[in-house]
Amino acid sequence: MKVAVTGIGAVGAFGTGRASLEAVLALGAPAKTAAGRPAPDSRRGWSASPPLLAAAQDLSEWVPQPQARRMSAPSRMAVAAARQALHDAGLPRTGPDSEVPAGVVMSTSWGSAHYTERILDQIRREGPEFVSPFYFTECVANAAAAQVALSLGARGPNITVAQREAGVVLALARGAREIAAGRASVVLAGAADEMTPTLHMILARFGALSLSSDGVARPFDRGRDGLLAAEGATVVVLEPLEAARRRGARVLARVETWGCGFDPTAGPVSWGRETRLLGTRAARSLSSADGPLDAIVSGASGSPSGDRAEASFLQGLKAALGLPVLPPVLAPKGATGEYGGFHVGAAVAAAAGAPVAPPAGFSAPDAELGVEPHRGSLPRCPRRVLVSSCASGGAAAWAVLSGETA
Amino acid sequence: MPRRVVVTGIGAVSAAGWGVGPLLEALRSGRPLAGSITRFDASRHRTRIAAEVPPAPAAVAAAIPGWRRLSRSDRYAVAAAREALVRAGRFPRGSGPEMGVFFGTSTAGMPECERFHERLQAGAFAPVALLRSQEANGPGDAVARDVGAAGPVESVSSACSSGALALRAALEAIRDGEAAVALAGGSDALCELTHAGFNALRSVDAAPCRPFEEQRAGLTIGEGAAVLVLESEDEAERRGAPVLAEVLGAGASCDAHHMTAPHPQGAGAARAIRAALFDALRDPGDVTWINAHATATPQNELSEWKAIEDVFGARAAAIPVVATKSLTGHLLGAAGAIEALATVDSLVTGMLHPAPEGGLIDPRAPAALVRGGALRLGDVGGRSWVALSTSLAFGGSNAAVLFGAAARAAGV
Amino acid sequence: MTDETTLRSRIKRLIVESLHLDGVDPAGIADEAPLFGEGGLGLDSVDALELVVALEKDFGLRIASNEVGRDTFASVGSLARFVGGKLPLAQSASRRG
Repeated sequence: MKVAVTGIGAVGAFGTGRASLEAVLALGAPAKTAAGRPAPDSRRGWSASPPLLAAAQDLSEWVPQPQARRMSAPSRMAVAAARQALHDAGLPRTGPDSEVPAGVVMSTSWGSAHYTERILDQIRREGPEFVSPFYFTECVANAAAAQVALSLGARGPNITVAQREAGVVLALARGAREIAAGRASVVLAGAADEMTPTLHMILARFGALSLSSDGVARPFDRGRDGLLAAEGATVVVLEPLEAARRRGARVLARVETWGCGFDPTAGPVSWGRETRLLGTRAARSLSSADGPLDAIVSGASGSPSGDRAEASFLQGLKAALGLPVLPPVLAPKGATGEYGGFHVGAAVAAAAGAPVAPPAGFSAPDAELGVEPHRGSLPRCPRRVLVSSCASGGAAAWAVLSGETA
Repeated sequence: MPRRVVVTGIGAVSAAGWGVGPLLEALRSGRPLAGSITRFDASRHRTRIAAEVPPAPAAVAAAIPGWRRLSRSDRYAVAAAREALVRAGRFPRGSGPEMGVFFGTSTAGMPECERFHERLQAGAFAPVALLRSQEANGPGDAVARDVGAAGPVESVSSACSSGALALRAALEAIRDGEAAVALAGGSDALCELTHAGFNALRSVDAAPCRPFEEQRAGLTIGEGAAVLVLESEDEAERRGAPVLAEVLGAGASCDAHHMTAPHPQGAGAARAIRAALFDALRDPGDVTWINAHATATPQNELSEWKAIEDVFGARAAAIPVVATKSLTGHLLGAAGAIEALATVDSLVTGMLHPAPEGGLIDPRAPAALVRGGALRLGDVGGRSWVALSTSLAFGGSNAAVLFGAAARAAGV
Repeated sequence: MTDETTLRSRIKRLIVESLHLDGVDPAGIADEAPLFGEGGLGLDSVDALELVVALEKDFGLRIASNEVGRDTFASVGSLARFVGGKLPLAQSASRRG
């Protein structure tokens, strides 16, 4: 069964909904205007470049207070993004009505870091007998997926995948599988992440964060020095292409193919030496795509070694496909930051024809990489794009999206 | 017809010890593994027992490169994975791009994270190295790096259904030809947060758990890892590998009812079981026994029983039910994996593992619980044995996996 | 204000705070109104457990699992009677200890 993407929902520093995600993608940088200003948040004490926060946004239109009462930030943002995605797809916000149940596949890196920290704090300061049941039920990794299913009555497969930066692409692939195999009528697939001052400090101590004071990450740039942390949620609606057409839905893109692999030379928090081979593996997946690629939506985030891995992956892909040059490479994390799953939303939007500006922070290519972000507009519209992500720890995942609507 | 997928190796780390041997000895003799918690100070927790893994034998630690840098759940995972590959005849060669790893966990690197936060709060130096393998991809990635897997590597963290969902993903990968061999399993390490959390929900029994008993009072947390080597039947035949059992099918669903309580009519569980049967092209009448989720919380068995009745009808009360958690405790993210391993063992030996003798069975969930002594499986009239393993998670995610006896039995 | 009234007010405040019932005025919760299920505050089993932790912390009590029941937790009134009954014991225990 062919798989269609019919809606995008997102909650991030850029605001909520597909239009605000697309606005920041067209800008190529985190929005600084009033409309897209990072939401005010009472948590202070950020080290390195302040993260792009989203959790304090008013989501009451999508998640009314009685339901939000017991949700952690990732759950709340995931439910809001899921409902937005359904709305974008022209489906009921309360959940699709079908005999075949709807599925949910979400990815997260740390679940509710905030509630986890609170519990650890409670154990130390007050004693283990005073741990909050609320916090515990919400700090399991599958809380967001469970809350999405609960809020939508989604009774199909409910799966939470974890693969760091590549998690959201894996979630897309897993969701597409469930649709292709006829095991769900609709799948809400995406990611939800929350950033806390402690987590931010930990990332800084791992050397992962950009230290630049202008708050901009520089994917593929020679002077890149780290990623820009973000939080938020992205959800896309997946359904059988035929069903989407039958109900007259506007199809954003088809998910043509997908794949994943691993570089065992990686370390637990680093990338390995054989990411190139994963590009070769991805090229094999492409034999089942219906045509050449118009663009690549890379997971490059501004991380010195992460972007090197992403570039190496693309070099392997190019060589295996026998291409003289790579298709235009887009690096949306320059606008959205890392975490929150936005780059799958960006990939679907790009496939459907939305403009994706090069990262505003990019100034000089890194000769060692042989890859730089595309400047200027993209030639075709809609487009066939490859979305890829190489995670620290060794995993990589990719999918091919073929746009349908301008 | 989809490719047939078989199990060619098993590996485990549990409270019984490091290796499949001690685990099977405990399971076959029905010896419960819970004891006093030593991992952390449990004096202020409501309950004080768990099924803890004993310290690793020196030989195991010495054989695994980078042992010191691995988190606890990584260590359990890597040790179990190596054992499984050795038993399958695929170690140390036989990995690479054709091998995938599909792993489930819930706690991952949380014990190390707890140490980090403790130091942070005490104002002491807190090394971030403790958080290297904190997220749920930790154990699966550690296995992939250790064995040199370059194929699909996916980690699932859907609470108690993680292990079963990992098996489901591995089954699909082999069927679709995305990997020629897959390590499917789970790993979980006891941590204070999880223990305190389940106690906050008043879900933990102060005594070793008593699945299906009327007086049951909650779960017993366990830790460890279990790994199964899955490959296509053709591949196993080609290399003359031992075939322990077949993975017939898998199904998944969600209750979408409540964040902690299961659906009272077991509707989600029934849907997952039916999806597994459909995937395996089998009927309820084909199932010889059920390895139930059976956490021993008051609500789980009621809900699970309704699902069993719904699917199996009049047969329900006659189908033998195995409650592995009565022996191993609840391994959370690894539960589905260790229960799959237990199921494979029974398919090889034809003997079902007994829960300890205990009090009256709950008349509202009158399962034919195997207990007191092992139950020898009878002849099923020329068909082969089929076992159903259910995993019904916190948050409502359900998974069910069906296993069948190998066409040619192999020894364990 | 009698001790009983103070106790009930304190419990109402605890309910609103510990269960994140934003926008609910503690004074507006009727003493005998049902806390759980439809028609009352709509609380559920996890709320009950959260409330148990809050009561234990705030009043210095220990509440056993078998004391967490529908009757005890039916309303603010029944909770106040339950807590009131345990308080002298807790106080005398701390005097002895």
